[in-house]
Amino acid sequence: MDVLGFYPMWYVPVVGSATIIGIIASLHVLASHTSVGASILLAYLATKAYRENQPQIYDYIKKYLLTLLVFSYVSGSITGPGIWFSATVANPRGISALIHNFVWVWAAEWVWFVAEVTLVYILFYTLGRIDQKSWLRLAWTFAIGSWATMYIIVGILSFMLSPGHEKWFTTGSILDAFYNKNYFPHLLSRTAYMFAIAGVIGLGIAALMKKDLPEKIYKDIVKTLSYWGIGGIVFGLMFFAWYVSTLPERSLVMLEGVVPLYLKVSIMLTILIVLTYFFLTAIRPQVARFWISLPIFILIFFLGVFPEEKIRETIRKPYVAGEFVWVNQIVSRDVPAKGIESEVPVIDQKGLLTVNAFVPEGLKKIDSQNEIMAGKAIAILQCSGCHNVTGSTGLRPFGQKFAGMTDPNVVYGFLAGYLRDNPPPYMPKFVGTDEELRALSAYIAHMISNGGSVSAKIEVPNTSAEAKKEVQP
Amino acid sequence: MRDMVRWFLLFILSFMLIGGKWAFAADVGAMLKAMTDPAGAPFYPITMQVLQVLTWMLHILFVYTSIGGLFFTIYGFTKKEERWQRLAKATLELSKVSVSLAIVLGVAPLLFYQVIYDPLWYTSANLSAWWYILFIVFLLVGYYLIWGAYFTKNKPSMSMLMSILGVLFLLLVGFIIHVVNYQALYPEKWVEWYTDGGRTMNVSGWNIYAFNVFRYLSFLVFPSIAVTGVFLMLYNWYFRSREDMDKDYLDWAGKVGARSAVYAGIGWLVSHILYILTIPADWGAKGSIFTWLSVLGLVLLAGVVFSSQKNPVKMAIPSLLAGSVALLLIAIFREYLRIASTARFGYSIYDYKLNLEFLSPLLFLGTLLTGLVLYAYAWWMAYQAGKTPKGKVYEASETEHHLGELSVFIVVLWAVVFIGVGLIIVVRNYT
Repeated sequence: MDVLGFYPMWYVPVVGSATIIGIIASLHVLASHTSVGASILLAYLATKAYRENQPQIYDYIKKYLLTLLVFSYVSGSITGPGIWFSATVANPRGISALIHNFVWVWAAEWVWFVAEVTLVYILFYTLGRIDQKSWLRLAWTFAIGSWATMYIIVGILSFMLSPGHEKWFTTGSILDAFYNKNYFPHLLSRTAYMFAIAGVIGLGIAALMKKDLPEKIYKDIVKTLSYWGIGGIVFGLMFFAWYVSTLPERSLVMLEGVVPLYLKVSIMLTILIVLTYFFLTAIRPQVARFWISLPIFILIFFLGVFPEEKIRETIRKPYVAGEFVWVNQIVSRDVPAKGIESEVPVIDQKGLLTVNAFVPEGLKKIDSQNEIMAGKAIAILQCSGCHNVTGSTGLRPFGQKFAGMTDPNVVYGFLAGYLRDNPPPYMPKFVGTDEELRALSAYIAHMISNGGSVSAKIEVPNTSAEAKKEVQP
Repeated sequence: MRDMVRWFLLFILSFMLIGGKWAFAADVGAMLKAMTDPAGAPFYPITMQVLQVLTWMLHILFVYTSIGGLFFTIYGFTKKEERWQRLAKATLELSKVSVSLAIVLGVAPLLFYQVIYDPLWYTSANLSAWWYILFIVFLLVGYYLIWGAYFTKNKPSMSMLMSILGVLFLLLVGFIIHVVNYQALYPEKWVEWYTDGGRTMNVSGWNIYAFNVFRYLSFLVFPSIAVTGVFLMLYNWYFRSREDMDKDYLDWAGKVGARSAVYAGIGWLVSHILYILTIPADWGAKGSIFTWLSVLGLVLLAGVVFSSQKNPVKMAIPSLLAGSVALLLIAIFREYLRIASTARFGYSIYDYKLNLEFLSPLLFLGTLLTGLVLYAYAWWMAYQAGKTPKGKVYEASETEHHLGELSVFIVVLWAVVFIGVGLIIVVRNYT
């Protein structure tokens, strides 16, 4: 058997498997940024409480810690591995490439992850039960440890977009891969924004406790959070501009030409709303309300974090890891340092269906009986990372992209000219034999002829000799 | 003449059998080999393997106390007795914290496993992709139900309902991970499963292809009760020195734990042996030393908790040690099964392509040492705080203050080195 290392393919009709990753990742970003930001804010407030001898601040800290435990540490610690889980099934070879390069780095992050989770519980249970100095030390190690998880993951995220430097392909050095040129602006921009996110939650908690806290303490807490929030947004914008300037050329092209305007506008609008809220609470702390903070927090998720994740995914294309694994999981270039070879020539020569062990024998040799199904299999294997290949709605749907194209020859002409010979910067080129491209064209024309929507089920025709051989005992 | 024909046919038949199996094995072996990541392993596979076994052991310990804790909570809430109600609340607290620890500790074994057994993990997960995603959703729902039970603990009927739903979700999560791990052990069936014998491609991700009830019971259900039983003995041991605690209640809780540990320990042993009997003969597992060591480990645990019945406090630490030995042997057995399963197709993690690299293992080692200092300080302070009666504040000794200063210093040092190295690299590569 002559196979490449492909895994069974998972296909999610309409929205695509990438959206599943997007939803889980956005939840995680919101929860983790809240907790990292809050860890530093709380350590600062605890220091203030200790220095200025204001024990009531500890009551606020205790409430915030409980909120963190219930929200951030439940959803954050589950959705963190959740991103990994969803990437495993949506893009196994992409996540595998990252894990095989960064396993020790991830293991180092895990050390901090354990520290963070155990410390948040310890801080919560020991507040008021051990002396203040000791508690303060725990609070600061918790803050730095939480932040350290961000130091580490940002390097891996940067590498997903690009190794940054051509050097990595020949040195294979973990340092060259990790400390990308956009590492520091990326880290600083996330760091700044996380104070704003944690600040919004913090204002809501303070508002709930208003009647239990002396007025001076209440105002002190709200003003502190507001200043940190304003600073977070102002610095976040500055660092973000720096981050954009370090992006690779292809990402800039996509950011300007491919990323829809409404995604950028919605992020800017969110930033504006949050900034206004912080300004108002800084001037008049009474303005802070739970019922304002909560909707703003939800707004941050839908109009800020989710679009940000979508943009990040878009500007990474056509790759999913390190500019050598395409979004359709085909290894597209050599990495001499690691002995990795491009799979494109082999697939072009032998055919995508032939080299994938999980394609039934009855579809590997294309004939008039199985052509449509073979084409559908190719569409799912090669295109479904970014497209809804069986319908007219949802993720960049084939039904719309090929509307009106009911003649297989017309589709073939378009695909050969556009996708095989001259692919755009954001899409992988079509790989496979000419026979396979014809099968894909036949499937697309068939699908459009059937109203632009077909079932995702693949049926191997009984007439196929190979299929019969497989089915019969 | 007839005999000759018979022998000749027998020879042909055996050749077909062996040859056919060889040819098939070569196919599966080639597929497994092709699936290993082209980047190779960045370090010696045996190191990953050892770390995987050790970290899995830690992870599963808290999985057991998460689920077992809820079993005790549910049972406790059904009783009218005050001490049962009190125990139910204590085990609910145990479960709540344990889920967090189980999640965070579960990341490491998965990480190391994926580096050396990527063909198994990615294939099996993708065969049942939606279930794999639902693992996250069910865990999230289950954990929020446990928090719900915690917040309503003073309304036992409500709290019990949430605990029941919570444990069902956790058992469902366990079921999914069981399926994924179990399917992974049968590479010869993957293509057949996925293509439904050559008729389709099951791209929907909704299929579940294999389940073994004895493996599920012996790896998840019985140990949950047994391990939590041992935890209750430790609960008795830890809190009995605190003057504000009710000694009678603690002694009773310890006895409940010891008794449960014996019954569940026997169930664990029996289901473990039944699982061993279901392992296919060609794995050679039934005659393996690792298989029998795992059985011995469980016999040891059952023996120690059996002898603890009269005095659980005295035997709490020996029971913990016996439980740890049993868990370690089970973890090794579980790893051995992967070796036995893949060896049939000539796959060995020790042949994994190596792309040796020393900087990132160094980063891990440095971080681990930093972490250990921090853990030591934080857990020690938590231990002391727990020993302090309610309403009193524990004052750290001078040594503890020094350890605290050291942990802050070493954590800051780690951050400085990490960022400093980054600055040097960025300046070197981009200016």
